[in-house]
Amino acid sequence: MTVGQPGRQSTAARVGEVIAADSTSFTAQCYELYGSPPLGSFIRAGHPGIYGVVNNVRTEPLDPSRPVLARGRDHETEDEVLLENPQLSRLLTSRFDAVTVGAAGSSGFAPWLPPLPPRVHAFVYTCGDDEYTMFAADPGFLARLARPECPASDDVIRSCLMGMVDGRPNGTDVALRAGRALAAQLAGDVARINAILSGIEK
Amino acid sequence: MTDGGHGLFPNGAGAWEGGLEGRRLGQIIGGSLSQGVQARLDSTGNVSVEDVKVGSFVTIQGERQRFFGVVTDVSLASSDNRLSHMPPEAGDALVARAISGTVAYGTVNILPHLTMPVAAGGPPEPPVAAKTIPAHFSPTHAASQQDVNLVFGQEDERHFWIGNPLDMDTRVCLDLDELVKRSIGVFGKSGTGKTFLTRLLLLGILQGGQASTLIFDMHSEYGWSGQDSDRNVSVKGLKQLFPASVSTFTLDEERDRWRGTSADEVVRIGYGEVEPEDIELLRETLNLSEVAASAAYNLQQRFGQQRWLERFLSMEGTEDIAGLANDVGVNAQALGALHNRLLRFKRFDFMQANTRYDTAARIVEHLERGKHIVLEFGRHGRDLNAYILLSNLLSRRIHNRYVELKEMAEGGKVKDPQPVVIVIEEAHKFLNPAVASQTIFGTIARELRKYNVTLMVIDQRPSAIDSEVMSQLGTRLTCLLDNDRDTDAVLAGTAGARQLRGVLSRLEAKQQALIFGHAVPMPVVVHTREYGSQDSYTQFSRGYAPPTGVASESPKERLEREIDELF
Repeated sequence: MTVGQPGRQSTAARVGEVIAADSTSFTAQCYELYGSPPLGSFIRAGHPGIYGVVNNVRTEPLDPSRPVLARGRDHETEDEVLLENPQLSRLLTSRFDAVTVGAAGSSGFAPWLPPLPPRVHAFVYTCGDDEYTMFAADPGFLARLARPECPASDDVIRSCLMGMVDGRPNGTDVALRAGRALAAQLAGDVARINAILSGIEK
Repeated sequence: MTDGGHGLFPNGAGAWEGGLEGRRLGQIIGGSLSQGVQARLDSTGNVSVEDVKVGSFVTIQGERQRFFGVVTDVSLASSDNRLSHMPPEAGDALVARAISGTVAYGTVNILPHLTMPVAAGGPPEPPVAAKTIPAHFSPTHAASQQDVNLVFGQEDERHFWIGNPLDMDTRVCLDLDELVKRSIGVFGKSGTGKTFLTRLLLLGILQGGQASTLIFDMHSEYGWSGQDSDRNVSVKGLKQLFPASVSTFTLDEERDRWRGTSADEVVRIGYGEVEPEDIELLRETLNLSEVAASAAYNLQQRFGQQRWLERFLSMEGTEDIAGLANDVGVNAQALGALHNRLLRFKRFDFMQANTRYDTAARIVEHLERGKHIVLEFGRHGRDLNAYILLSNLLSRRIHNRYVELKEMAEGGKVKDPQPVVIVIEEAHKFLNPAVASQTIFGTIARELRKYNVTLMVIDQRPSAIDSEVMSQLGTRLTCLLDNDRDTDAVLAGTAGARQLRGVLSRLEAKQQALIFGHAVPMPVVVHTREYGSQDSYTQFSRGYAPPTGVASESPKERLEREIDELF
């Protein structure tokens, strides 16, 4: 499947490099313009790896001092704009932010913050089926994304959960376990629980 | 206390369905000693709120001690008040299931009754009343059979198996020593099994030998045989089960002849034994005015105790009565009414002007030998006057004798008299607030065990019994009651009365009883033990050990008993 489409890949693919990192999140630049993994998908930085969930994707000029100008007034289609201005793809870049959710430990996925963030220039990969299976085995960590200090929005949490559930034979069970962990985290806020979970299990 | 019922309780009291016995339910999250503690059911989904019933027994492992309690209420709670305004969409099962046990959860209220001994080698110690509550987050488990056994004891000489917690195989045993120390109350609406329960209690006392019993058997149900009106069969009475230990006295020889049995003694009462106090007690049933009833005292003064009734009843004609009224200084009309009403004594064939037979003395003689006495009223049981008159008269004589014996024993002249339990039915007729202070039963109830005489009162209207008497009952056994005043009267002064109230009104109409007081460590609802099958008779006979001082069975009696048991 093409990088950038929603859903998960069956195999891991390298999509970019870490360009900034702190203890709770990191930012990566994509190798391809518009080549970011979708919101809510799992990514791995480095090897054996620190795992994150994509919570923000943006495309912007490489040089912040050169703002992008609108160029399509005289063109019929968007493709024509790019054909007429081939330099554009070199001046723009796609970047994405990820919330750190854990790291690869000696016995699989360790769902808590690693002692150190990923290094800058660590390669960033999308996660494959095996890794999704690993996350789905104990989806309770998802509740951490719902904490007030976490920048992930409810839509990100929902997308992340759908990625773990969709097409999985034990999807219902995974959804329920993740749902219960979320409900425990958001015990005082039924409206948010409803917003995240409703319609997940169709 | 819920549910178990449920143990304490109806519809499965004490019992856990679906193999929950011993399983973890949740943890303590708050509460108080007076109101009970609250446990939150675990959110793992293993225990549904629907598995927990009021009355179920639970154990709570506190930090320093283990508690034994009963579920008194089950409720639904939520961590977000908005839940009721925005419940999950009907079609969205995931949200509902995720919320259940986390945001929306079940809680149970538990009344911790007892603290259990911590097993640390040595002989097991009995549970004691809880005087504190478990700490926060103490794990709560459904009680196991072993826990229930530990609390309600094993059947032995001191403990009589009265029944089982509902839906459980364990036995609830009464502490017989404690039972007979103080007066006992057996209550319940008509037809709820008071008589069967009383039979069981009497069998227990009989087997344990803690006391002798004197049963004023109004409807002739305890002596030779009784009637199971539900199954329409006859069940054995105490005399058939324990011929050597039970003596029957009868007022109605004819009935005995017709039945083909013969009582050990026939009751004869002389007019001289009736005292004005007895007439006072009959005021309501004889429909006498206060003035008329108190005229008996004037007659007693005029003619003397031995002769007053005989002389009064021998008078005929209004002129004689009027003359006597003038003579003793009472209103002629009142005296006329008294005469008129007392004439019915002449129809009592057990009453005679002169008899050398002293029934009270014979009864005391039997009691002192450790025998149990059933006084069958036969057809006279239908006449409340006969029942009240005779039981009051005889109890007074027996009580007086016991007071003498007890005082002599205190002086070291004789040994302490064998404690006796006097069983009366329709107790509110003797113990209502208007007469309780005057009758011997009121005195016995108030004196407690001072003179080794206590009461077992059987009644369907406990609210009509003097509250002072009710407060002196040590152990109360009550079948279904659905009148609020009766329920209040039975539970008055009991810890946790509010919780027990619900339990009492939800008892089933048959074979269920709530027991609380000194003879059980905590209130409990039991499914009463079976009485009436050949198996039950065999069990009763086998469990019996002759009390000291009772003559052992004669070969003939043993033969009779064995034939009965065989066939």
